[in-house]
Amino acid sequence: MKISGSYQMACSPEQAYALLQDPEALARCMPGCESLDRIGENEYAMKMKMALAAFSGLFEGKVRIADTKPPQSFRLIVEGSGRVGFMKGEGLLNLSAQNGGTEVAYEGDVHVGGTIAAVGQRLLDSTAKVMIKRFFDKLGEGASARA
Amino acid sequence: MATTITKPETLVGKRIRRKEDPRLITGTATYVDDIQMPGMHHACIVRSPHAAARIKGIHVKAALELPGVTAVFTGADTKDVGPVPCGASLPGLRVPHHHILAVDRVYFVGHPVAVVVATDRYIARDAADRIEVDYEVLPAVADPEKAIAAGAPAVHPEWPDNVAFHFHQEGGEVDKAFAEAEVVVKERITSQRLIPTSIETRGVVADWNTGDKSLTIYSSSQIPHLLRTLLAMMLGLPEHHTRVVVPEVGGGFGSKLNVYAEEALMGFVAMKIGKPVKWIESRRENYLCTIHGRGHVDYFELAARKDGTMVGLKLKLIQDLGAYHQLLTPAIPTLSVLMMPGLYRFKNIRADIAGVFTNCVPTDAYRGAGRPEATHGIERMVDILAAELKMDPAEIRLKNFIQPEEFPFSTGTGLIYDSGNYDLPLKKAMEIVDYKGLRKQQNDSRKQGRLMGVGISSYGEICAFGPSPATPAGGWECATVRVDPQGKVTVGTGASPHGQGEETTFAQIAADELGVDLDDVLVVHGDTAVVPYGIGTFGSRGTAVGGPALYYALQKLKEKITKFGAMLLDSESVSYSGGCCTCSKTGKSVTLGEIAGASYRAMKLPEGEAPGLEATYFWEPPNFTFPFGAHVAVTEIDRETGKVKVARYVAVDDCGRIVNPLLVDGQVHGGVAQGLGQALYEQAVYDDSGQLLSGELTDYAIPKATMMPWIESHHTETPSPVNPLGVKGVGEAGTIGCSPALVNSVVDALSPLGVRHIDMPLTPEKIWNLLQGGQQ
Repeated sequence: MKISGSYQMACSPEQAYALLQDPEALARCMPGCESLDRIGENEYAMKMKMALAAFSGLFEGKVRIADTKPPQSFRLIVEGSGRVGFMKGEGLLNLSAQNGGTEVAYEGDVHVGGTIAAVGQRLLDSTAKVMIKRFFDKLGEGASARA
Repeated sequence: MATTITKPETLVGKRIRRKEDPRLITGTATYVDDIQMPGMHHACIVRSPHAAARIKGIHVKAALELPGVTAVFTGADTKDVGPVPCGASLPGLRVPHHHILAVDRVYFVGHPVAVVVATDRYIARDAADRIEVDYEVLPAVADPEKAIAAGAPAVHPEWPDNVAFHFHQEGGEVDKAFAEAEVVVKERITSQRLIPTSIETRGVVADWNTGDKSLTIYSSSQIPHLLRTLLAMMLGLPEHHTRVVVPEVGGGFGSKLNVYAEEALMGFVAMKIGKPVKWIESRRENYLCTIHGRGHVDYFELAARKDGTMVGLKLKLIQDLGAYHQLLTPAIPTLSVLMMPGLYRFKNIRADIAGVFTNCVPTDAYRGAGRPEATHGIERMVDILAAELKMDPAEIRLKNFIQPEEFPFSTGTGLIYDSGNYDLPLKKAMEIVDYKGLRKQQNDSRKQGRLMGVGISSYGEICAFGPSPATPAGGWECATVRVDPQGKVTVGTGASPHGQGEETTFAQIAADELGVDLDDVLVVHGDTAVVPYGIGTFGSRGTAVGGPALYYALQKLKEKITKFGAMLLDSESVSYSGGCCTCSKTGKSVTLGEIAGASYRAMKLPEGEAPGLEATYFWEPPNFTFPFGAHVAVTEIDRETGKVKVARYVAVDDCGRIVNPLLVDGQVHGGVAQGLGQALYEQAVYDDSGQLLSGELTDYAIPKATMMPWIESHHTETPSPVNPLGVKGVGEAGTIGCSPALVNSVVDALSPLGVRHIDMPLTPEKIWNLLQGGQQ
């Protein structure tokens, strides 16, 4: 499944870039995130609870950041699996200064498998959009606080 | 001795309610999941979430630590259990070794990897979540046409072209027919993957008796005896120490005409733990792991003369087999080839099948099994030809039908059609719908801008499987008739009815032959320890093969009854009828009860006869039977939404002699519902990586009662000469006849827009796009 969108943050690209790579901020803002621990250079172990359709489940996985070009862009690679299946996602985030703030444009591909694909596939698109919006909304609050 | 004779009325041919119904509608039937046993354990199966992956490790410790968990088994434990069998054989067929649990690699989403056994179903389920499997994910392919394209991932690394077999069949002079043809029409026609969706999912209880080393398997199956033979083989058990019991079955439709990994796995588990164990398939497992049906991509070419005479047919058939062969997987498309000429006279036929592996659950027999695909193909092609020649679709059919005097008719595919009068149901259906009036109404409605369609399907089918040389496991059937000392009758049949109603129809046949009341006959089945070996119920064979076996057993028994009657009446001039033996000279008679009592008391025996009243007969059918019929669907399409409304549905089926019209109507109704499901709603969808996206009833649309039209069910009766009952079989007729009638109707409705063909299912989205001038 392809996902794309953009979000306005009320801070400079440098601040937004730093915020988007701050494990504490990410853990706080990712919906359902239970823990995010640094396990290496640009690599984190993640536990995340996700609800979709009639079931919810805990995913354990890894988040990796690659192709870093501060403060313009970086690639985010997420992999997780749990009893309801697995997910893999990869996305490119582009940051650009706009109207005194920062526009974060994202474009990526999400792939799911197992029960989550068999049962939740029709709801995946809308669920992903809601989760991303919640993430940026919350991150935005942090950005406003920093700005 | 009784001297009055009351001859009961004939029961065959009457609309009689099913003897099965009271227990089914009062909740007193016993299904596999109703079985409880002391010390019974429960199993939960861990399945692959990947369509293709290498198994790098399986961590079971955390599961074993959960209180209540008795054991966990993986492929390493079960690898010596015999493979899941493929009963079909074709020249050069590639058969992958199908372990009951994956050993080092998984081949489809849902592939069983491990089994957890616990004292409680919920503990087993929780423990399954604690098992961690390390997978190295590999590329997968889920579409058969993509699978045979260059560079596709290999489903089985040893066969990189993904082709399990090629099969070629040819009859007549195809090249000559096509060279001389005045018109050739071509079309790509698909029959999408379907999920059989029986209300009761699969389920198994296995009970191992450690003392006498015998295994009893309770399974929701259509084939208890074949299952016993094959399970004994897989588990290395002597067959006489293996028993299969099939309790009530909540629908099979071909999906339980199989031997599944889980059946052998539960046997293995019970033998290991020395306790009974139960596994009940969840609906999600059912969609992922029980066979799917259809899965065809067909390229048809039909050659004809300008007057509409069809002269030849070519077919390139790509069959999506899935990752493995289940019991009959590779044989199913060969049935499509046998049936491809339909009811038409031409004999120039060429078919090439490519059986293709994909990283999906295997396909196999689903109601109709190969024949709906073939019928859909030929019936669509006839309509496409009619449109090309601007001929009426009814007229072109009537012009090409095999005529009654041509039977028995040898087809270009090597079959011998037993009997038929194909004009009869079509003309009857046309009369019922007022065909001419409908066409006029259609013209008028088109002028008003409405989209109304009339679709015809004239279908034929192969039933009563079948002569043993033409079937993988023997095609005969067996019956035992036992009259007890009270004079009551027990019929044991090797066919294993599971919803078809043979407890009623076989009782009708036996009651008529023995002249007793319907309630005096009990039909038993489905337990290998109780009834003699039989083949099972599938391919519309229950009544058409099991019925004649019963008929002949009854004749055999009547001979013995008459001998006892003659002895008791001390007369040579004795005949048996109406439940009594009567002496034609004295008019004196003895009842069946009196004869039965005397036969078991055995104070005196007729010369050369043994005590007791029992007869068994194994009947081998000399040929298949070939039922036929015509279905007409009238549809109207909503221009705003693309939704298809079925305004009228008329089914005229000829299934030979009818034993019970009520049950025949029931079979037609159910069959039409499943045919309509394929035509309008159902589709098993895999994404490119082999994930099943239609994995639950929320995403897989089977028709609900409100989505069904009123079915006007009518019949003609052309008896089969193949068996003494004249019956042909009707279990699959509705499914086979329905989908082409509906699709022909919708294409007819859209023909003013230049639409020539639409692939199923005819979803509103697809039709709306066509209405907007786009592609389907």
